[in-house]
Amino acid sequence: MNNFECPECGGGVAVGTAVLPGEILECPDCGVELEVISTHPLQLELAPEVAEDWGE
Amino acid sequence: MIVIKIGGSEGIDYEAVCGDVAQLVREGQRVVLVHGGSHLTNQVALALGHPPQFVTSPSGYTSRLTDRATLEIFEMVYCGQVNKNIVERLQRRGVNAVGLSGLDGRLWQGSRKAVIKVVENGRTRLIRDNLTGRVEQVNTALLTGLLHNGFVPVLTPPAISYDGEAMNVDGDRAAAATAVALGATELLILSNVPGLLRHFPDESSLIRQLAADEIESVAQSHAQGRMRIKLLGAQEALQGGVRHVILGDARGERPVLRALDGVGTVIG
Repeated sequence: MNNFECPECGGGVAVGTAVLPGEILECPDCGVELEVISTHPLQLELAPEVAEDWGE
Repeated sequence: MIVIKIGGSEGIDYEAVCGDVAQLVREGQRVVLVHGGSHLTNQVALALGHPPQFVTSPSGYTSRLTDRATLEIFEMVYCGQVNKNIVERLQRRGVNAVGLSGLDGRLWQGSRKAVIKVVENGRTRLIRDNLTGRVEQVNTALLTGLLHNGFVPVLTPPAISYDGEAMNVDGDRAAAATAVALGATELLILSNVPGLLRHFPDESSLIRQLAADEIESVAQSHAQGRMRIKLLGAQEALQGGVRHVILGDARGERPVLRALDGVGTVIG
């Protein structure tokens, strides 16, 4: 388990070792969504807001 | 004006659909056809060694994951085999059908979704470079020109982004956008089920009538899989001024005429 500092509120975000690139995690303090940009090294950024839309 | 969406699942009777369309056209009705092709696309993709992948959004909608190779297979089947097959069936019946994709003449234009959010095994993640989007503008000048000159448009995804890229769009919602843009009175969405089922797959549990303001609650409680997107398309059509949306069965005889007689789920 790694600890990461939330770029929004500075709170701690615990990140498991099995996270996947692109996975969305939620900051337990401020609730903001964070995207796993890379796993080696672990890098999280604020996730873009994505509205739902669908193809066929 | 009637817009008819024919699904692309297994069991669709294209021959019967085209027979009904020919009859309507002979009677002076103006008709626009929109079609799918998902079942055949899956088969061709498998045969070409590029198996289809589907993803589920956080609110439970499924759609095809579309990379460039998938999009090209999609075009081969939708714009090629399925579209030309329907055009041929209509031409054989004396209907002057014209097959177009949403790319042609920027018929269906909209925003591409470069990033989508999906849920896999309970984990949410973002997928980039997906070639999907949503129809926001319909080239009505092109369609009314064709209709005015006696042609029957046969339309298929993909659509085109504002940047000129082909993108996979949902056919039911594209049909709804087309019906709204053309001021159609009826939108028929025909597939391989009798309509909206209260207890899928029990076909005897057909819901025959639905008010427009019931769509959202029913979509949550009774609709599964692609049926939820059909209901979303129905809602968009009704909000845009279409009088009735009918979810009908494209298997068996007289599928279009039966739906117009109210056989299926009549919404609105």
